[in-house]
Amino acid sequence: MMRTILWVNWLRLKRDRVALGLTFVLPIIFFSIFAMIFGGMGRGGGSGPGPARRTRVAVVDEDRTDISRRMIQALAAQESLEIRTRALQIEGQPPAEPYTVEEARQLVRTQTRYPVAVVIPEGFGDSFANFAAPGEPITLLYDTANPIAYQMVAGLLQAAAMQAAPDILLERGVGTLEAFGGLLTDAQKGVIDRLKTMLVPTPGTNGPDGNGDDESIFGGVTGLVRVDTVDVRADEAGGDEQGPQRSLVAYYAAGIGVMFLLFSMTGAGGSLLDEEERGTLDRVLSSDISMTRLLLGNWIFFAVVGMLQIGIMFVWGAAVFGLALWQPNQLSGSILMTVVTALSASAFGIVLATLCTSRAQLGGLSTIIILIMSALGGSMVPRFVMPAFMDTTARFTFNGWALDGYLKVFWYNDPDAGVLRSLAALAPEVGVLLAMTVVFLLAARAFARRWETA
Amino acid sequence: MVLRVSDAHKSYGGTPALQGASWSVQRGEWLALLGPNGAGKTTSVRAVAGRVRLDRGSVELLGRDLQGPGAADARRKLGVVPQNLAVYPDLTARENLLAFGQHNGLTGRPLHTRVDWALEWTGLADRAGELVQGYSGGMQRRLNLACGVLHEPEVILLDEPTVGVDPQSRERIWEMLAGLQRDGASLVLTTHQLDEAQSVCDRIVIIDHGRDIASGTLAELIRDTVGPARTVRLTLDRPPDDPDRLAGVTCEGRTVHSTLDNVADELQDLLARVAASGATVADLHVEAPTLHAVFLHLTGRELRE
Repeated sequence: MMRTILWVNWLRLKRDRVALGLTFVLPIIFFSIFAMIFGGMGRGGGSGPGPARRTRVAVVDEDRTDISRRMIQALAAQESLEIRTRALQIEGQPPAEPYTVEEARQLVRTQTRYPVAVVIPEGFGDSFANFAAPGEPITLLYDTANPIAYQMVAGLLQAAAMQAAPDILLERGVGTLEAFGGLLTDAQKGVIDRLKTMLVPTPGTNGPDGNGDDESIFGGVTGLVRVDTVDVRADEAGGDEQGPQRSLVAYYAAGIGVMFLLFSMTGAGGSLLDEEERGTLDRVLSSDISMTRLLLGNWIFFAVVGMLQIGIMFVWGAAVFGLALWQPNQLSGSILMTVVTALSASAFGIVLATLCTSRAQLGGLSTIIILIMSALGGSMVPRFVMPAFMDTTARFTFNGWALDGYLKVFWYNDPDAGVLRSLAALAPEVGVLLAMTVVFLLAARAFARRWETA
Repeated sequence: MVLRVSDAHKSYGGTPALQGASWSVQRGEWLALLGPNGAGKTTSVRAVAGRVRLDRGSVELLGRDLQGPGAADARRKLGVVPQNLAVYPDLTARENLLAFGQHNGLTGRPLHTRVDWALEWTGLADRAGELVQGYSGGMQRRLNLACGVLHEPEVILLDEPTVGVDPQSRERIWEMLAGLQRDGASLVLTTHQLDEAQSVCDRIVIIDHGRDIASGTLAELIRDTVGPARTVRLTLDRPPDDPDRLAGVTCEGRTVHSTLDNVADELQDLLARVAASGATVADLHVEAPTLHAVFLHLTGRELRE
């Protein structure tokens, strides 16, 4: 009896490819995706399938001393940082001017790739390692959109300070010691001088032992240089101490919103399969309604439902979690993105429904596709913690484009730009999502031929 | 002639479903389209409904081609009542009627007038605002029927309109259909309920292996197939003492069978022979030839699937 039950269940499973995929393939795919994400982070990308994301940092050197230059070199030597002191030189053009503080602030505020800028103030070199009379602190300009990057850079600044000028640290440390504890003897001074000679960084080396991989040792040192952190959005309307939390709300409102929109749209698209099973589809197609009109009618209806779904979620986010929805730029941008995203997601739901032959098949297939796209596109895990190559994979997902658009609206919106300029910045995402809509609708129309005249 | 299917051919992946079927319906006629499972009657009906494109042959409704351009417009004179309960269970009866009325081109006041008529006609007016999923099978059948005739079609295709309902609902549905016929509609009925088809239809077409193999009134079909002879079955009080008196008649114990071409003339002689055999007639049945007999005569007794 038991053998028969097992045999029958096996036969049913092996003939249901979707169930087979859900049982065996989906766990492997998901494991692989998360392994890529977190494996890439943990090992610095060295043994992962691609390099880890390097955080691009704009550096403004107002000090322009040997110590500040050595500080910048030490930062540039950190594997996880990509240091830019000026815009890239365009071929045939003279080199760009070094960044000013305001330019660095704009970069952080409006460009995803620059989550942090470092400003080395004038007088930094003179007060470096002067523990008795510390000077101006280094300023770290950061975007709350990426809550990880600035903390990492703050730690690496301490490591860089140690690596940049250990000889000066020693000299000024001894000076402080003499000021408070009395002068050294000649023999003691001789030892200190020999030690300083050994500590002067030589070209091609990054630190005291010439090994650039000592981030972990020096990253833990704090207080060697003073660092002030400044939220570049703090002066924006609505900006307050809740900035970081609010930004993550924006991220997840967009990320989760897009993912669940896809789920609800494929669920809605499944009503076509219900109609087929019930016989009402046949009956409707026997009347005046053509297949094209039937699909378009469903597409528009589902899209309106989707717009309401996201709209209600954003309003809730604004009311309860302080999502910055009601600023003109954000409001107009979120309306545009919601309309376009819902139109596209509705078409996606319909194309899957026309592709599948049963509700069960649709449920299985849509779950696989949506979860994969959500994982790759950033709906589940923020893309800034993923390895760099996953930015490219996100470009192949619906979620990736929709999320990029929403992030432009809620994160990277330049408050000084007008509504029209803010909307124009969404052109790539809107264009791609509309193109996807057209492709989905054409594919749905082609797949729906099976419901037409046999 | 309001509907004509001529030389219809259709194959699915090399398997023929229709191989030259031809049949037609006169104005105001009620036609039964009969055949074993897989004979091709559903394909024929779906070709008329526009859900199947014929490989060869033609379908004309009121003189207009239903397989070519403009078929959708011509099909407005057609009503389709599918075997499935093709209504929305999560809508009310009124909402279903409004939806299918609009799908079939009704709008405005005519739509609402027809919906009110349909609710009265089906006896659902009192429960028009209830969700259909709470209806009995008979009520859903009546609604299914109403959704197909709301737009006053001249020709109505009915696929097993009474399947799965109790005798009372069945009786009501036949009365409703007879009313439509009285109002001038032509009906095409496909069913396996041969006794019902025999009692309500004016003419019968039998399809088998994708072809029409017989058509005519019941009397014509009987005459051309099993013949008009009646079967007489007698039950005796005891086996006959002298069976030789019943020569030419099938006699098994107390039961006697005989086929009589003319009951009025020949029955008296049969009863006299039974009396002469020494037995007395306890019961007597005279059976006229049925559509069932004609059907089996034409299509055989072999299982088809």
